[in-house]
Amino acid sequence: MEFLSTQITGFMHAFVLLASDPVTYAYLIVSVFLGIVFGALPGLTATLAVTILTGFFGNKFPLEQSMIALIGAYVGAIYGGSYPSILLNIPGTAASAATAMDGYPLAKRGRGGEALGLTTTASFIGTLIGTAFLLAFVGLLLLVSKNIASPEKALLALFGVLLSGTLMSKDLPIKGWISGLIGLSMAMVGMDPILSEVRYTFDWSYLLSGFQVVPVLMGAFAIPQILEGMRSTLVAQKPPPVGRIVPRLGALFSRLGTIARSGVIGTGVGALPGVGEDVAGWVSYGVGKSVSKDGDQFGKGSINGLICAEAANNAAIGGALIPLLVLGIPGSPPAAALLGALKINNVIPGPTIDPSFVLHVVAILVLASFTMVLMGLFTARIFILVLQIPQTVFLPIVLILTTIGSFSVGGGINDLYLMLGVGLVVTAMNAMQYPVAPLVIGVILGGLFDETFRRSLFLSDGDFSIFISRPGAAVLLALNVLLVLSQLPATKLIFSRLRKR
Amino acid sequence: MSEKSILRARDFWAAIVLFALSIFFLLRTSDIPFLGTGDAGVRLGGWYNSAALVPYCLFSALLLLSLVLMYIAVRDGGAKHAFSAIGLGLNASELSRVSSLSIIIFFYIFALVPRVDFTIASALMFCVLVLGFHRGNAMRMLIAVVLIGLAGCYALIVHYPQSEWSKPHDDDVVALFSWVVACCCIVAFELKQEIPKLRRSLSLLVLSMLLPLFLVCAMAFGFRQNVPNRGGMLFSKVEYVYYVTVVPMWRQ
Repeated sequence: MEFLSTQITGFMHAFVLLASDPVTYAYLIVSVFLGIVFGALPGLTATLAVTILTGFFGNKFPLEQSMIALIGAYVGAIYGGSYPSILLNIPGTAASAATAMDGYPLAKRGRGGEALGLTTTASFIGTLIGTAFLLAFVGLLLLVSKNIASPEKALLALFGVLLSGTLMSKDLPIKGWISGLIGLSMAMVGMDPILSEVRYTFDWSYLLSGFQVVPVLMGAFAIPQILEGMRSTLVAQKPPPVGRIVPRLGALFSRLGTIARSGVIGTGVGALPGVGEDVAGWVSYGVGKSVSKDGDQFGKGSINGLICAEAANNAAIGGALIPLLVLGIPGSPPAAALLGALKINNVIPGPTIDPSFVLHVVAILVLASFTMVLMGLFTARIFILVLQIPQTVFLPIVLILTTIGSFSVGGGINDLYLMLGVGLVVTAMNAMQYPVAPLVIGVILGGLFDETFRRSLFLSDGDFSIFISRPGAAVLLALNVLLVLSQLPATKLIFSRLRKR
Repeated sequence: MSEKSILRARDFWAAIVLFALSIFFLLRTSDIPFLGTGDAGVRLGGWYNSAALVPYCLFSALLLLSLVLMYIAVRDGGAKHAFSAIGLGLNASELSRVSSLSIIIFFYIFALVPRVDFTIASALMFCVLVLGFHRGNAMRMLIAVVLIGLAGCYALIVHYPQSEWSKPHDDDVVALFSWVVACCCIVAFELKQEIPKLRRSLSLLVLSMLLPLFLVCAMAFGFRQNVPNRGGMLFSKVEYVYYVTVVPMWRQ
């Protein structure tokens, strides 16, 4: 209890400091606006919004300021995806795919404004729930994480890649694992972290420092979207007219229980390493369908269905930041982009992170969610107008943004070549339904996995039992093995037989 | 053919590529000292500390998964359809669209951004993409590719070495000329429409030049970041005005 009150006091202090600085509002308004626009434009993602801003801020700005912009864009983009989902039946981001199930039928019935209003408030409350969990748990977990050593870190990194590969794969789970392995392999390029041995550089000095995170992220998330978006000849659709957007308090209060449940589910799913807001939205939607009284109406224009998805995907933001800040393992692809930003600013998240930085992040999340709800309720018509911008206009702008962002952060023109190369590989992977998130998480966690795995073996003189003798490591190893086994056809067959019995 | 069959046909090819890559990188990994790691006569550690350990594990796992993928692809009939047009992922109209797009992006990234003023290069790329892809017309796509190809080839051929990237401005002039032609084409094609939206087209053309200019200035002077081609025709003048006129005025 004392711990919690300390956390709340620390948060209040950070909040007052931030809220009393006028610069904060300038960053918040611009970044949340940009985030919502990115989310609202189909094809542009929250990860891309965060990555592009990372390219702009680089390491020349104080991290506290750039975090305001990055988190603002993250919160805005996850929420912004609901606009095209509701009004056009096109999910703006993968996170809002479940929103379209009920949002669009509501818009077709002329209740688009009501759907947008309730979505906005549900997203706001969802973000606050995720943030509350972040505040409550991150400090506790930081204390626990002091006992986490190299074996646990290596297995956690592997678990993050495997879990992300399993859950994000639309076709075969093996494709997710292959994607993760490609990412981990990409992280092997350059000088190794322990002996500085040169690996796979092909005598190109640029590769000595390995693949840079920002160009890889830009290549993985921007180039395939540009190639895919420009390939289609779809013209922008005109959204249907919407009425009153500000929700009625009665309608909101009667659904607070659903919002709270979805917020908790979203936070929990978001906290799983490598699993993003889209999975959170679908899980919450599935749970809502089975426990709600009007579950049979889900998919036909149910307000509860809409709220389940939206509250959860925004709550997942707070959840995704828990493993990021405690262990340095991103909970979602946008969190991976945030980790990239932290890395280029030489901040290493994990047990040694400054607790005041965590409180600062929590305060930013709260302010960003307030900015989001105000913008969503009172300037929604601007974002509805944005939906009418054709892809052939906004995608070239994205190419310009990614080019200058990628160039500026690190190695100049070589980073552009890397961005393009990664983009082409990921485009091919997309065509074969390989998920991108495990690849990116693999690239980011590869260095950590390599270093901690070898350090563990070094400490035990090459004895693999170090991964079993420590309780934490044994649990994580079991989780990794179970995860792989659960996806094998033989295991699935046994389980289906057991279920039948 | 069902979507699953198409995917399995592509998986067949993907498995072959992954298999070949795994073997290649396993061979490359054998160049890294593994057993008896040491340097300059000093023993650094055992095999468990070698820089090759994790890559060996990763590429072996990738090799294994490529074999599993191949098994799945063959079992589900992927090998049968592997040589069909769909299995190879070929579709005439889509191929022309993707290849035009790839050529435009190639010229933009490899030829124009390093050599030509960023604002002009980006304005040209923006205009050719709008010109070529807005309504999916093959003729417009061809014109777009020719226009960026002209500027890109000139920059590549005349100023190939890195030492010449930021010096001369003749490639900037060629790119600017291509941009003007692209703008004229956009306006001409718009006028041919039943209901021409000329004002919208013109504002797009203005945006194509102003947006990259704004971004590059914001990046260089606001965010204090590295920007491409500082010696470019437009940016060098903007930078001069900024440091010689604007900054002293601001300080006063």
